Amino acid sequence: MYRTVPSLPLAPSMKVKLINAGFQVASVLTDMRPLQLCKEAGISQEEAVEVLQVLRDDGRPHQQRAATESLTALDLLHQEQAPGSIVTFCSALDDALGGSVPVGKTTEICGAPDVGKTHLCMQLAVDVQIPVCFGGLGGKALYIDTEGSFLHCTLLAEDTEQRQALEELTVEKILSNLFLVRCHDYVELLAEVYLLPCFLSEHPEVQLVVIDSIAFPFRHDFEDLSQRTRLLNGLAQQLIQLATQHSLAVVLTNQMTTRVSNGQSKLVPALGESWGHAATQRLILHWEGLRRLASLYKSPSQMEATIQYQITVQGFRDAPDEPRTTPDSSAVSSPSGNHSKHPRMEDLS
Amino acid sequence: MVILREGVCPGINEEFIKALQSEDIKTGVALVAVRRVLLAQYTAFPVSGADLYEELLSSTAILSTGNPSLDKLLDSGLYTGEITELAGSPGSGKSQVCFSVAVNISHQLKQTVFYIDTKGGMCANRLLQMLQSKTPNMEEQMEALQKIKVLRVFDVFSLLACLQNLRSNGLQKASVGGGSVKALMVDSVSAVLSSMLGGKQNEGMSLLMQVAGELKMIAKDFNIAVLVTNHVTKDGNGHLKAGLGQSWSHAPRTRVLLQRIEGAETSSLRTATLTKSSRQACHLVEGFDLCHWSEERRTSISGKRKLEERSKP
Repeated sequence: MYRTVPSLPLAPSMKVKLINAGFQVASVLTDMRPLQLCKEAGISQEEAVEVLQVLRDDGRPHQQRAATESLTALDLLHQEQAPGSIVTFCSALDDALGGSVPVGKTTEICGAPDVGKTHLCMQLAVDVQIPVCFGGLGGKALYIDTEGSFLHCTLLAEDTEQRQALEELTVEKILSNLFLVRCHDYVELLAEVYLLPCFLSEHPEVQLVVIDSIAFPFRHDFEDLSQRTRLLNGLAQQLIQLATQHSLAVVLTNQMTTRVSNGQSKLVPALGESWGHAATQRLILHWEGLRRLASLYKSPSQMEATIQYQITVQGFRDAPDEPRTTPDSSAVSSPSGNHSKHPRMEDLS
Repeated sequence: MVILREGVCPGINEEFIKALQSEDIKTGVALVAVRRVLLAQYTAFPVSGADLYEELLSSTAILSTGNPSLDKLLDSGLYTGEITELAGSPGSGKSQVCFSVAVNISHQLKQTVFYIDTKGGMCANRLLQMLQSKTPNMEEQMEALQKIKVLRVFDVFSLLACLQNLRSNGLQKASVGGGSVKALMVDSVSAVLSSMLGGKQNEGMSLLMQVAGELKMIAKDFNIAVLVTNHVTKDGNGHLKAGLGQSWSHAPRTRVLLQRIEGAETSSLRTATLTKSSRQACHLVEGFDLCHWSEERRTSISGKRKLEERSKP
């Protein structure tokens, strides 16, 4: 492997010293002892040891493999066709997503308040635990809560009514397979994501990571917007790396903001234009009158689609009528519900 | 004949003379000869224009993208030895265009393609879908899929490691296997570089130039067409322009801006605008449909004329 010194993951000041000492290629450095390097490059002994450590890590089989071994698209296809998926129990949405929330990719769910983002996330956190014999992944979920909206454990309990036939899946078991982390600001969130590789190696059965929401800590008290963009880009790359290396699905929720252009205002996903490039797939949940619609806005493998869904006592489900975007054919039930901001369709319990 | 002694000219001291004498260099003529050899080793040879042209004709290949409108925009396709850039806002179809081009090169032209994915957007199922629309033969589909090699890197140092490895032995290994490598795609360059640029970081520019340098060297030395994708930002007047700034803008030879068509009937229609080219007039616009890649659109637009409605097949 031919590596030049400027391309190594070392501090810039270190690289300047090494280049000034005449080291252009990494291969010259690998055979050196720390004392030798220390004398020739004019750096301290600790720094020399650090440089050689980085070189050794770089040349390690695992790192080398990531950079050198390529999969053919055929191998990737076999990987993608592996069994198990995280369904949402709303068949129209599953169809639009291409079967399920994809593993190995990041999915972003944007929406206005109380359109069902947290609900969908909680549903997914339960659905990932569906045993393999029933077509699920049989895995655990990590839920990173930044808004403090993970309060409704009762909602999870109601989901199990669907699975009464499965005696093994009790409420306690479902809740015990869910890891909950509460982050209060963006520093805690960044630290948590930074520590995730360790956590995931200790808990390899985690197959879903939900961050609800990623917008909240970054929208308040952030003066330097360009720093915010950089941090978000870095975060997005770390998340996709986790998703790919540990084969898990990453779901992020985002809020909406208003963009005013040409005297018109439009609701667009928050966190800026460049954040739009970050997630692999983007799902926008929005209201149209009293109906809830989900639009797949960006996906590498699926066409754009808009489907209707509803939130019932049991959770995220298909809307009762045909999913059409014309406003006349919607069926609206009487609004009820004490803690919701918009009418929710409820079965009479 | 001048015998080398201490003090003959500045820079020649005792140690130096001893070192030269151990290599059997005792006279000034010998030193001048050594200097000539060094110069010859490190200077580039001048080549006549005619020879360069001949070499270019024999070594450059033009890879068709499979889409007639895009080919027209790119002056028949992707040129080997050059970097072509696709820029667009999220969802504008950059990755889809990359997939379509990769599928065309691996299936139609039967060449190997390297795809460096930095965003996790590579979806083999989608590639299979595209191949299935081109040929019903399973064997051909599998063969084409095997010609597309995917590398997944998520930060700039891994990208540099990957590119340097490709340059040193990866590409040769792949072409020995069977089928020459004719294209390299990086989707996307901005995902790994944008977090390193700006603020108090002083390394971003250097890394950007290193990536540009590696890509150019790979394109030139191995006669490969390099296709990269980039994000967009808004300039002072609110118009879209490709990201990563002025320094990066010199790396690609041809730059295309992809946009959705507002209020179009089908959501898969896109326009491609040529923003930088050394062969065609800039600001040419072509429309195309992501779903019907190999079909020509009946009308092409230029300037601000609206697209005519395409009749359903």
